[in-house]
Amino acid sequence: MAANFWTSSHCKQLLDPEEVDVVHPLDKERGFNLEDFKLIKLHMSNYIAKLAQHVKVRQRVVATAITYMRRVYVRKSMTEYDPRLVAPTCLYLASKAEECTVQARLLVFYIKKLYSDEKYRFEIKEILEMEMKILEALNYYLVVFHPYRALSPLLQDAGMNDATQLTWGLVNDTYKMDLILIHPPHLIALACLYIASVQKDKENTAWFEELRVDMNVVKNIAMEILDFYDSHKLITEDRVNAAMSKLPK
Amino acid sequence: MGDGRANNPNSHSNNSSSNKPEWLEQYDVIGKIGEGTYGLVFLAKVKSNRSKPIAIKKFKQSKDGDGVSPTAIREIMLLREISHENVVKLANVHINHADMSLYLAFDYAEHDLYEIIRHHRDKVNQAINPYTVKSLLWQLLNGLNYLHSNWIVHRDLKPSNILVMGDGEEQGVVKIADFGLARIYQAPLKPLSENGVVVTIWYRAPELLLGAKHYTSAVDMWAVGCIFAELLTLKPLFQGQEVKGTPNPFQLDQLDKIFKVLGHPTQEKWPMLVNLPHWQSDLQHIQGHKYETAGLHSVVHLSHKNPAYELLSQMLEYDPRKRLTAAQALEHDYFRMEPLPGCNALVPPQPGEKVVNYPTRPVDTSTDIVGTISLQPSQPVSSGNSVSGGNPGRNGWRNKSWQHSDAARCCTASSSTAADKKERIRNGDDWIPSTTEIEALLSFLI
Repeated sequence: MAANFWTSSHCKQLLDPEEVDVVHPLDKERGFNLEDFKLIKLHMSNYIAKLAQHVKVRQRVVATAITYMRRVYVRKSMTEYDPRLVAPTCLYLASKAEECTVQARLLVFYIKKLYSDEKYRFEIKEILEMEMKILEALNYYLVVFHPYRALSPLLQDAGMNDATQLTWGLVNDTYKMDLILIHPPHLIALACLYIASVQKDKENTAWFEELRVDMNVVKNIAMEILDFYDSHKLITEDRVNAAMSKLPK
Repeated sequence: MGDGRANNPNSHSNNSSSNKPEWLEQYDVIGKIGEGTYGLVFLAKVKSNRSKPIAIKKFKQSKDGDGVSPTAIREIMLLREISHENVVKLANVHINHADMSLYLAFDYAEHDLYEIIRHHRDKVNQAINPYTVKSLLWQLLNGLNYLHSNWIVHRDLKPSNILVMGDGEEQGVVKIADFGLARIYQAPLKPLSENGVVVTIWYRAPELLLGAKHYTSAVDMWAVGCIFAELLTLKPLFQGQEVKGTPNPFQLDQLDKIFKVLGHPTQEKWPMLVNLPHWQSDLQHIQGHKYETAGLHSVVHLSHKNPAYELLSQMLEYDPRKRLTAAQALEHDYFRMEPLPGCNALVPPQPGEKVVNYPTRPVDTSTDIVGTISLQPSQPVSSGNSVSGGNPGRNGWRNKSWQHSDAARCCTASSSTAADKKERIRNGDDWIPSTTEIEALLSFLI
């Protein structure tokens, strides 16, 4: 339901990591491996965030759009659903779902501004057609819960208001991974808080232990985030381009 | 939801023998039953399910460049999360890719409060049975309590949006419908009132009429109060003349109608009143005029001591903060007195009570749904014949047992890595928090 995560479609749709890390057979045929798949999703998450800054929508819309995009690729192939079209369309759909509709022509304008590459160019009509296909691929489940909502009260409660910026940044970065498809948002928030308290040398063990959550899960999420930062340093534009080049022209 | 068979626009063009989209084949469409600004509603029967009746709501094709209307998006979004016996059930969503039209299929309800009230007023010329009034009201409140406890405001409650099931297993069950204006109000990105017109003016709460920017589930309770009175008297309680214009003009006549019945609102009873824009700006009209004291009881022909009157007047409380909530209303004495409310609002449990046979919804069989659908396929963006995804939600995270046998292994493994990482973080040399976007984003968020 709209306000209760535990009864929401989001909660019911959470996946095991093995279910997320699946390269679609059609993409395999084109030579995609899991690494390419993850790289393209990362690249598209960045693309959505960049585009969002231009059309001036808030982070919640960006987060919802990225979640839609990642959900689409649990079911659909990149061969059939061109990520360069899916990404802006997810932002378009998310802006409607989050009640701050962005006009398609504005998106088309900024896409042209951001990328000179023809392969990123799409007509308004193509975005509108893809919007319907995405609605279908999402099985019409559009409500998404994000870690942001839990963040402020948690930071307050933990006496970590000074770590607000750092923690927000960490949460933003979790959308470069598939965590939102796998874990409940409040646990992602706690994992970011955990990293922030380690980073800030803040002794918070007692506070974390008082929470009625499984700290193993929180720590595992934190590990994944840190692993991501490790691997992120090795990602070069060449690697992204190599992965993107496997998409159909 | 939806059906994979209809996904491929090519399948329509290849299938030249049929003149309707594949998804439509599962229905026998009887005819048109409604029309509104959003589009058309058709009555259909599901061929495979003993002719189960379904209402198919077709959204108007959007104007060029707008895509699926935001109203449709939000209605689908909410309905996909909602499940309650007193809220309309979304049975299916269909998309016709060829002409980019969108359809919502609902369980069909034969009656609605608008038609029931009209039947009593214009046809049988007698009041609605007290059992029926109480049962309709209780179920309406029960559905609304569910919505409100999930932070959903309906915003457009009126008799025509309150459906009642006809003959069948769910006979006499109330279903709240039409969520096109409904909102999740927990964390709106904009004040809710910025999203355009809200609530038909006869059922519109005084705080909205006075220009409140932030409003709550109390607006729905005001509408329920108006509907309750209408069920009792068969006449709309406050029939103001709507001032047309954009955006949201001041509805002086509607307020006048309310003040005439409920008396003038005062700052003592409603402290926030003085902060409302129209109250401040329109001194001459609304503050200048003096109204008689409240006469609600005489309008609804109930004594002050009658629990029905007491409940009604608490729903029509001026101050939205003091107005009864749906949960409180359900606890009211009125519902604990005979006749007790029942599940089948149309048929009283006591034998011998007269049952009113309400007319069925008129069906316009001359409008064929197929005629409203274009089968000219547009250029497909890409072929849609991918393997349809199964249900990914087979196990929620709560089913994942983190306490199970390898929890211990998991725990030791992770804590040793954690120590490693902590060490590395402390050294501060190989971990760079990404802060590039933080500033820009914070500026959006606060």
